[in-house]
Amino acid sequence: MAGTARQGVLCLARKFAGLELNSRRSAWTAVSKVFPYVSSTDHGGEKKKEVPHDFRVVYPEFIPDPKPEFRNRLREKLERKDMLNRRNIMEIPEFYVGSIMAVTVADFNASGKTNRFVGICIQRGGSGLRAWFILRNVIDHQGVEILYEMYSPLLQSVEVLRLEKRLDEELLYLRDALPEYSTFPLDMDVEPVLEGAPVPVNPIKVQLKPGPWHERWERKDLQGVLDLGLPERFYKRAKLHEKPWEKYDLMKEYRATIPEEEQADIFHEIAPHYPQLEASRRRIRRRRVQSARS
Amino acid sequence: MAAAGLRGPSSMNTLVNLCQKLTISGFSKTVIRSQPNITQVRCMSRVKRRHTVPPFWHPKVTRTLYPEEVTPENQAFVSEVISEKLSSPLRAEPWERGQWTKNSIRCGLIAKKIGIYPMWTKDGTRILTTLLQATDNHVINYIPPEDLAEKSFHPLKSSKLGALIVGTQSVDPREITKEYFTLFSAVGVPPKKKLTKFLITPNAKLAPGTPLYASHFQPGAHVDIAGITIDRGYQGVMKRWGFKGMPASHGVTKSHRRGGSIGSGREKSRVWPGQKMPGHMGRNRRVIRGLKVWRINTHYNVLWVTGPAVPGPTGAYVYLYDSILPAHQLHREQNPPPFPTLFQDEVNIDEELFDENLHNFSQPSISFAEK
Repeated sequence: MAGTARQGVLCLARKFAGLELNSRRSAWTAVSKVFPYVSSTDHGGEKKKEVPHDFRVVYPEFIPDPKPEFRNRLREKLERKDMLNRRNIMEIPEFYVGSIMAVTVADFNASGKTNRFVGICIQRGGSGLRAWFILRNVIDHQGVEILYEMYSPLLQSVEVLRLEKRLDEELLYLRDALPEYSTFPLDMDVEPVLEGAPVPVNPIKVQLKPGPWHERWERKDLQGVLDLGLPERFYKRAKLHEKPWEKYDLMKEYRATIPEEEQADIFHEIAPHYPQLEASRRRIRRRRVQSARS
Repeated sequence: MAAAGLRGPSSMNTLVNLCQKLTISGFSKTVIRSQPNITQVRCMSRVKRRHTVPPFWHPKVTRTLYPEEVTPENQAFVSEVISEKLSSPLRAEPWERGQWTKNSIRCGLIAKKIGIYPMWTKDGTRILTTLLQATDNHVINYIPPEDLAEKSFHPLKSSKLGALIVGTQSVDPREITKEYFTLFSAVGVPPKKKLTKFLITPNAKLAPGTPLYASHFQPGAHVDIAGITIDRGYQGVMKRWGFKGMPASHGVTKSHRRGGSIGSGREKSRVWPGQKMPGHMGRNRRVIRGLKVWRINTHYNVLWVTGPAVPGPTGAYVYLYDSILPAHQLHREQNPPPFPTLFQDEVNIDEELFDENLHNFSQPSISFAEK
């Protein structure tokens, strides 16, 4: 009923909670850094299905929140079951931060009772049934961001119009970039994807507007922006705030992830459903290739 | 620490009596009056409300483990005997089942809080639900009203209510004391880690050894949940009482989070009882009333109830009762619950039970378009 309004409010809330989100995000980036698990041994006599390497990247929300005080194996299992049930009803395709997506959502107050929104995914997070992503577009010279919950039954369809990644893990700086970098036509067509090809990385660098900004971007080590054009003292301050030792902090990484063996167990548990997930993924890609040919 | 009465060889009777003195569930006084008298519970700092040591009448549960030099074969034999003895069904004949009447009070459940996640109702509203797992609940003992009245820790003149002792979370009998084990050996159920007493009307009595399942409650029913809140330790007034603190700048030094004045002058020149000050926060028994049961998994015995506010951290034990709020009591009078409990082994029951207003993830997406 109050779908869009709620999402709008959430979006605002997210804006104010930017700091917390960043720390959360670093947890996700750390997940993708872990060396992929290769199942080599037999589990309990029968040979389990080989889990593909990119599982943790394609379906990051299946990895539970690593906070030990919130963990419970049974709760996680029931949650995964619900997620797979929902995925059987509505396909949630593979997407990344930087992909252009179209989401149709049931909206009681919209004409036709549905609302379709096209935009670039600027952030993605949450685990389990709480998983969410934010789409951004510029409509009538006004930047619009909507936070969607991936497993909300109000979602009618999620399409990926252009499957690609960007140079950064999150694109919140598009809020301070020139509007053309986050403007996408609402009638955009699905772009072709080559079967079996790796997900392309778009090396585009965006031009930021002059300040004031939402955040001090010079401290964020952004790859996808052009020269910020700040006086030298800003970079000096940014240098002081750098924490180059954090990438060697094993305990930090350990706390931000769940152990590799447990991840393997989770993937093995959903492996029986994996052909299904994989088939839907292939089907979507094939459809895109065909539409490009015609 | 163990009670003095435990040492004698005929400790069984003593223990049953002791067992009767286990903590009585929170709303005992109100139900005895059989008139719901629901008052909001607030912290009153003038009341000393916390005991850091268990009551002296609690029997000692765990024993000191020492090397017993048992050979692996004997160890295996003991394990086999334990599993054989304690997996046996009810030893006595099941009791006659009471009939539901308007003022009946049923037994409750002990459950473990296992987490929180969102669900959606059929009109698309997102709700947070807490998952509570009721693992192997068994009835351990029934105390008839007359015994309850005279053998309580605070003896009563009379009581209309009896009590059921219910236990959850089986433990290895080798880890506990003999005295504690005798509570369970007569019943034929494995010893339990957690025991509680539920006050019931005599028609809701159940034979010792009866298992209780999550389906004791139905989806759509409302429950009261009691538990121990999260222990937050010694906290200042800002966290404990929500004081505002003082400004970060403008000449304020060393009192950004302090409470400020605690009294005034003249006749009031003393600290009044109930003054909100820093101190221990949390680890109080709290009851949260009228939470709806949205969904039940009968295989894992999990209940989904409204909201993230069930007392205690993840992994805490909570006690579930039929709600005593007047509206829910009235609803229960018109739609009687399974009485005295649902004997799940005798009926065919679905694995997943949903409230009629809750969206099931196996159902199609919600849409508002007219068909």
